Amino acid sequence: MSAQLPMTGIRVADFSWVGAGPFLTKPLADHGADVVKVESRTRVDPIRSMAPFRDGLKGADRSGYFANRNSSKRSICLDLKHPRGRELALRLIEVSDVVVNNFSPGTMDRLGLGYDASRAVRPDVIYLEMPMLGTEGPHRDCRGYGLTIAAAGGLLGLTGYEDAPPVGTGTNYPDHVPNPLHGAIAVLAALRKRRMTGQGEYIELAQLESTINAIGPAIVAAAAGVTVGRVGNHDNVAAPHGVYPCVGEDRWCAIAVFGDEQWAAARLVLGIADLPEFDSADGRRSSRALLDELIAEATRGWDAALLADELTARGVAASAVLTADDLLHSDAQLAARGHWVTLEHPVMGPSIYDGIPYRLSRNPGHLRSPAPLLGADTREVCTELLGVPEDNYDALVSEGAVG
Amino acid sequence: MTQIDLTAPLSGVTVLDMTTALGEYAGRLLADLGADVLRFDVEGAADPYRRAFMNAGKQMRASQPSGTELAELLARAHVLLTSEGPAALRSRGLHPDDVTRRHNTLVHVAISPFGLTGPYADRPASDLTLMAAGGLLALGGEPDRQPVRAWGEQTALIAGVHATTAALIALHVLETESRGQVIDLSVQEAVAHSLENAAQYLDLEGVVRRRAGAGPREAGTGLFRCADGWIYLVGGLGGKPLAWSAIAEWLADGGVTNATDLNADRWQQSDWRRTAQACNRFRDLFEAFAASRSKAELFASGQKRGISIAPVATPGDLLRDPQLVARDYFRVVDVEGQQVTLPGSPYRFRTSDVRPRTGKSLI
Repeated sequence: MSAQLPMTGIRVADFSWVGAGPFLTKPLADHGADVVKVESRTRVDPIRSMAPFRDGLKGADRSGYFANRNSSKRSICLDLKHPRGRELALRLIEVSDVVVNNFSPGTMDRLGLGYDASRAVRPDVIYLEMPMLGTEGPHRDCRGYGLTIAAAGGLLGLTGYEDAPPVGTGTNYPDHVPNPLHGAIAVLAALRKRRMTGQGEYIELAQLESTINAIGPAIVAAAAGVTVGRVGNHDNVAAPHGVYPCVGEDRWCAIAVFGDEQWAAARLVLGIADLPEFDSADGRRSSRALLDELIAEATRGWDAALLADELTARGVAASAVLTADDLLHSDAQLAARGHWVTLEHPVMGPSIYDGIPYRLSRNPGHLRSPAPLLGADTREVCTELLGVPEDNYDALVSEGAVG
Repeated sequence: MTQIDLTAPLSGVTVLDMTTALGEYAGRLLADLGADVLRFDVEGAADPYRRAFMNAGKQMRASQPSGTELAELLARAHVLLTSEGPAALRSRGLHPDDVTRRHNTLVHVAISPFGLTGPYADRPASDLTLMAAGGLLALGGEPDRQPVRAWGEQTALIAGVHATTAALIALHVLETESRGQVIDLSVQEAVAHSLENAAQYLDLEGVVRRRAGAGPREAGTGLFRCADGWIYLVGGLGGKPLAWSAIAEWLADGGVTNATDLNADRWQQSDWRRTAQACNRFRDLFEAFAASRSKAELFASGQKRGISIAPVATPGDLLRDPQLVARDYFRVVDVEGQQVTLPGSPYRFRTSDVRPRTGKSLI
């Protein structure tokens, strides 16, 4: 019997939807918190209708994009505009430690579920909002999506080839990394302060402000008068440093050479002549283009994974550029670590979820259950947690307040 | 009335930061939250701006502690941060086998490139190769060119946010059960956790996602050139387009002849908007309009019409951004004797002292 999960006993009233919010509450849920997702049947979470779908068939309970972000959670459906629905939401807040939402500024206040209303029923509540640009300020009401936050936050403009327009990461990066996880950190830090002082907290995570930290060093440089721009795969220190073509359709190997010994080793593996101008890091950095050409010529005959094996065995950082297919089916390290998790979902069947990228030695988290069906837990949460008598529950359903 | 306690959330928490450049963001986050972070410079960032960003608020020590000094520090600390593979940790006496056995009330956050176990655990790695090994590199870039990495060694950010989350979960256990533990964090896995829906696309639909340039190939959405750079417009992502008539009117009001083309029924169909012909047509119309207008102008006038548009900001733009300036976002702190301007913390706490700090100097 393993130790109790770390966040056991913590409850989260999770009003968040789409991308960033659900990835914030997921680590809490996977480590034992009771995360109750408050959803709506009339305004269904848009991510439930985002691809991919099991067998390509659309449906609110078939999206892998949704499922992957919502393991270990419960789902209830409330109509927050119905007075009885709102009342139940407030009762949920009353029995929760944490409230999270990522609606546009003022939405929760208009619903009567803002911080002040929440604090009135739960004085030590930890309440986190994640507006795009802030709950205050001249741009507070501007519209945006994950993609526009990467643009407005500076990462898109800095990411790409030197000689071409910006290209970005190919994902809505702010929704997957900085914003949800900075949010989780804030909630956990506030819980720690509550343990020490008994005091709750109001936290505002403006997605723009969180995302700018992903390019923090560029801000420091710009403020010091230094221009920062796109550099492709070049590095300030390492040379050669790049992504080189290998045998096969669209196969590549990433190679990073930081020191002279590494260069000597890489050169031998690749069969590149020992040219004196490349003996020093300065020499290699000043002829990057020529070096890249020589290496690309040499790598074309190599299998990417085999080349990475040879280079890393000699102390040179290298990796094949792995696709999802490689990650799921052939990477020996992820397989040995048991990274991917298959969960049996009632509609989607056995489906693959991202594993937790870290393990606690004493009480590790795990994906406790697949993503909930839309409203799967409404009855149970209302009757067992929120104290609604069974008879009244059915009346609430027919009124449209729940279900 | 009861007094509000404005202390920092992690007041009283002591952190030993013995990370390399890969792991140094975690200590930075903990310092903003009020922990006392003692940074032993193993092999941190070489770039001075990066170094300042990553180490703000930390108390910097140049030399490595060893023997009894290390043992004393570990005995006092709540959290130890490292970011090397098992062999390197062992050589420095910092492997969990050495540390945790002696200090059972320590949370050791062992960030490492591939995790502490498995066949690649001691492979040399860098930001670029970990982006490759975790699968994010394969998603970035133009289809007809090589994959391209995200700016700014994002593996440090990816590792840092997961490591800090894990550290605070373990701190909760430490402070409620008086038990420390080891957190084994693989950066490769953390990167693989950042692929949006790529793993699920393969699992559910049999599709391997590949790099696709700057965004979806759909007319009305993506990057468009303007007078002083680029803007990002979201005019539709499948299904019905967003604020389409507002976009058409915006261009027409701006004097673009033929903008009324956009009112034709076919633009309501995503099948049409996804054709190369539609993409090119929209781009011609929009860029004719945008060529004489700045990012700031387009952002202001587009948003006023309910259109989702954002400037592709440069770091310099951000320093002057009206929203950020009005919110007093940027902070000047002292890092290693230099005054530096930093972005504000990722979050604002109403009743706790959370911000980029000036590190305590050596006593």
